[in-house]
Amino acid sequence: MPVVVVGLSHRTASVAVRERLAFAQDAIPPALQRLRETGLATEAVILSTCNRVELYAATDREPAAALEALRRFLLETRALAEPLTTELYACGEPESLEHLFRVASGLDSMVLGETEILGQMKKAYEVALQAGHTGRLLNKAFQRAFNVAKHIRTHTSIQRGNVSVSSVAVDLAEHIFASLAERTVMVIGAGEMSEKTARSLLSRGARGIVVTNRSVERAAALATELGGRAVPFDQWAAEFAQLDIIISSTSAPGYVLDCARLEPLLKLRRHQPLLLIDIAVPRDIDPEVNLLDDVFLYNIDDLQMIAADALRQRQEEIARCEAIIREKIRGILAPAAPGASPDPKLAYGA
Amino acid sequence: MNGLSDRNFFLSAVVLYGVSTLYSALLWRRGFRRDNRVIYLLILAALGLHTVAMMKRGFSLSRCPVNNLYEATIFALWGIAASYVVIGLWRRLRFLGAFASPLLFAAGVFALMPGLDAQGPQTQDARVWGSVHAALVLLAYGAFGLSSVAALMYLSAEHDLKRDKLRAAFTLLPPIQRLELAIGRSVAVGFVLLTVGLLVGAVSLHQSKTTYAAPDAKVIWSAVVWLAYLVLLVLRVRHAQTGRRFAWSALGSFAFILLTFWSSNLLSRIHHP
Repeated sequence: MPVVVVGLSHRTASVAVRERLAFAQDAIPPALQRLRETGLATEAVILSTCNRVELYAATDREPAAALEALRRFLLETRALAEPLTTELYACGEPESLEHLFRVASGLDSMVLGETEILGQMKKAYEVALQAGHTGRLLNKAFQRAFNVAKHIRTHTSIQRGNVSVSSVAVDLAEHIFASLAERTVMVIGAGEMSEKTARSLLSRGARGIVVTNRSVERAAALATELGGRAVPFDQWAAEFAQLDIIISSTSAPGYVLDCARLEPLLKLRRHQPLLLIDIAVPRDIDPEVNLLDDVFLYNIDDLQMIAADALRQRQEEIARCEAIIREKIRGILAPAAPGASPDPKLAYGA
Repeated sequence: MNGLSDRNFFLSAVVLYGVSTLYSALLWRRGFRRDNRVIYLLILAALGLHTVAMMKRGFSLSRCPVNNLYEATIFALWGIAASYVVIGLWRRLRFLGAFASPLLFAAGVFALMPGLDAQGPQTQDARVWGSVHAALVLLAYGAFGLSSVAALMYLSAEHDLKRDKLRAAFTLLPPIQRLELAIGRSVAVGFVLLTVGLLVGAVSLHQSKTTYAAPDAKVIWSAVVWLAYLVLLVLRVRHAQTGRRFAWSALGSFAFILLTFWSSNLLSRIHHP
């Protein structure tokens, strides 16, 4: 009795298609119940996230017929008339297990190596387990998938570093400050990237946000959104003594901050470290300030270079991760069916 | 095994500390991106030999082997190596071996100087006070040693954060603010221990009822060290010295101790009669 998978993901379908096939959390248990009642599957788990909708099932039917029936079930349950021939994928063992392990390890994620999917997968499995829709086969498959994901996270660098500019900025802040909990962040200029970075810092515990912008209304709006306060653009230096991180993204033609302006302000801070993130082009902060003691300046090129390097490192790790997965799959399949040839991958319309 | 003296075992341990120092250079170049098992195993093996050396010396004397400079130094180094082996059980912290190895190797080479392994006559009272004095002062130097290790880590991390930003992003080193705190705390603890240790030393000298015509080299040296660390703390607390200058000062002060400790002992009539 094989484990099979039918579904679609960000690799095969646009968000417009994914959102139509997605399950609300409370719709999953009844769908699993119906799936088992109809005899299509003896065990089943539905994984529905913003990037994928997948149905994992153990079935005693002949694999090709089972996959076709599960595909029809998925479309009918979500009331989709289109056949989704290019978007849906379906496969039996061993590809289904390999796919499960790849998804759990973040190898199939939009952000390579991310860990959020593992939590979502555990939750999906827990829902099916609690309702009694899993059995020996899926329990074993999912437990192995979680173990493999943990093993890969521990023994490879697939999750090292950050691959987005805002996460890199937060990561650098954590290399400078003992804790972000007591840090105050100032956003100069109200651009999208500075807003994202500020949000990332807040999510990691930064204490407060001060926003300043030439347009007072825009500053006030962003400050309200971020739960901070706005200060007039010509008065931001008065806040300096209490600032730890400054994110600058104005459209000013010249430097907003240079050594002459910064040096006297540093004394007010009793030489506490100061992180400056300059996302503006042209740059807002004179690169010379990086030479001042206790000042750490990063511009958009620095952040993008670090993010690109992290991505390159993760991509280099893919081969190692896949070797680990193949080895684990062999470990599962070998005692069960020695010499039995696995079902070939069955792709619909692909 | 029985044919080798305790000094031979310690020499073998120092050779392994030397190998791990050479290997550390590779980790420094790579920027401490991953945990490293090789340096951990090298120090673990060296610690085994180091322990045998201490045990052989202790059994031959039938007492704790902390009676002269050689014994005191190998005792302090054993403490550092053992601490690292325990800390290194956490994979993420194994890179600390790259900082501990040079210290273990340099101090180990100095400890092997033949002049340091001499026994001097002492009265019973002077021996008790002298032991307390030696223990406190050695602990103080241990704390200053830790501050220098933290300072080295601070300077490495700070350099990367300013000039090698790619390496800084992937380093396993702790945040520089935490390192700065560690430097400050270990200097403060070391200073308190040194102050008490020197006061106990004065009592010990008084108990021995020995008078010296000329000022003793080690007493002058100790006063200089005490004053240097006092200035360091005052500059830090009163004048908010920057992290980098504070790190350099802590490192420089300990380098001064390392480079002059043995010579001041050899010149001292009190410590090297």
